[in-house]
Amino acid sequence: MLIDPERCICCGECVALCPMNAIRLRPKDAASGRDAHAAIDRDECVECGVCFRSGVCPEAAIQEESLSWPRILRKAFSDPVFTHPGTDIPGRGTEEMKTNDVTGRFRAGMIGIGLEFGRPGVGTRLREAEAAIRRLLPLGVALEPNNPLTQLIADPATGALKPEVREEKVLSAIVEAIVPEEAFERVLAEVRAIAAAADTVISLGVIGKVAADGRVPAAEAMRRAGISPSLNGKVNVGLGRPAYRF
Amino acid sequence: MSHTLHRCGAAEDLKQDFVVFSMSAKTVNAKGSGETMKRFFELLRNLPAANFGDVKTGSRFNTDWQTIHDRFRDQSVAHYVFSDRHVVAQALRALKDADLGLSVIVSGVFAEIEAICREVGLPVHTVQYSGGVLGRTDRLPPGPVLAITTMCGHGLVSARLVEKLARQVKRGQKEAAAAAAELARPCMCGVFNVERAERLLRELADRRDG
Repeated sequence: MLIDPERCICCGECVALCPMNAIRLRPKDAASGRDAHAAIDRDECVECGVCFRSGVCPEAAIQEESLSWPRILRKAFSDPVFTHPGTDIPGRGTEEMKTNDVTGRFRAGMIGIGLEFGRPGVGTRLREAEAAIRRLLPLGVALEPNNPLTQLIADPATGALKPEVREEKVLSAIVEAIVPEEAFERVLAEVRAIAAAADTVISLGVIGKVAADGRVPAAEAMRRAGISPSLNGKVNVGLGRPAYRF
Repeated sequence: MSHTLHRCGAAEDLKQDFVVFSMSAKTVNAKGSGETMKRFFELLRNLPAANFGDVKTGSRFNTDWQTIHDRFRDQSVAHYVFSDRHVVAQALRALKDADLGLSVIVSGVFAEIEAICREVGLPVHTVQYSGGVLGRTDRLPPGPVLAITTMCGHGLVSARLVEKLARQVKRGQKEAAAAAAELARPCMCGVFNVERAERLLRELADRRDG
């Protein structure tokens, strides 16, 4: 994303819109004679498109760039209007539990975890998520193959990402994995260690199939791991067809 | 994609915040689902919704119902936001009767959703909990601001915009409803509950110094 300094009248209307606080007002430069204008910090910008789509600029000074690799990853992870070619879904995640009634992705004895780096509202470099993948793989977690982050892994044995993508900044990136119920507590202990070393925030999501007797083993596992299941969340109400035979 | 998870706030407030949405599975029932998604969208049209939308087209705050409807394609995801549990029950009853075959997901307070499912006769099939926010929580905005920004799970509503608009509401420069509508615009999916935002903005304006 760019702001054309020749068009910008420095009204400041775009500044507060940026979720990454990457738009700054620059004063008139006496040496060059350039008038005061707004500018986007390209290193902090995640190409989410909020400023451009808002139409807030009275001079149409906010412009979209043609993005090339690896910068285009910022848009793929941060702008939900952009459909990631790997998932065919807008945004940085997958269908996860939303279609579990027909896919059977999460079954008895398995718990889904999602570590969303950068959410809420802080953003993350992809290397933060890479560090988590590197620490979780030795614990036997199965990464979601359709997740766009998984698709950036260069070395499946270590979880190392392609080197050129590590410093790209995105609004958020999700490490999605399935964990055997008996390994959940061990994995959660590692998640806590990962969080302690992180320079961003991590929103933790936990997915579980509800048992026939109404028990939710994932909630019980969370409590055993010392985490309170949230008051609110998501429920798949089982209307998908053909229903997966669990 | 967990765009309706991790909404934070006070329990009583969250009890008035539901998202009902539908999606197809790429490998199972996506083919031809665009037309079925239109039916989903039509079925809930007359219920009082705080918002609706599809990320590819926008929400009620940047386009209109018909445009969203007409642009559904296979693998589109349609959303409605409701503030009243009785309306959610009506929505689920209609969807159960219609038996469209697409997955339906409800976000909200679990105890409320479970009670509604019992009423309507639907199972609580699979659940997703939030385990909270870990790591550098010192970088987060204050709780009341976060309660508003987390209603856009893609993170497109900026904390600074919330603070700016709350100041304008406090100074009487803007109505809370208009400010809430302005906050809803960046959220392209239409999952931002504008009624809840209006309420929270008023509370924020009442609390703010300056």
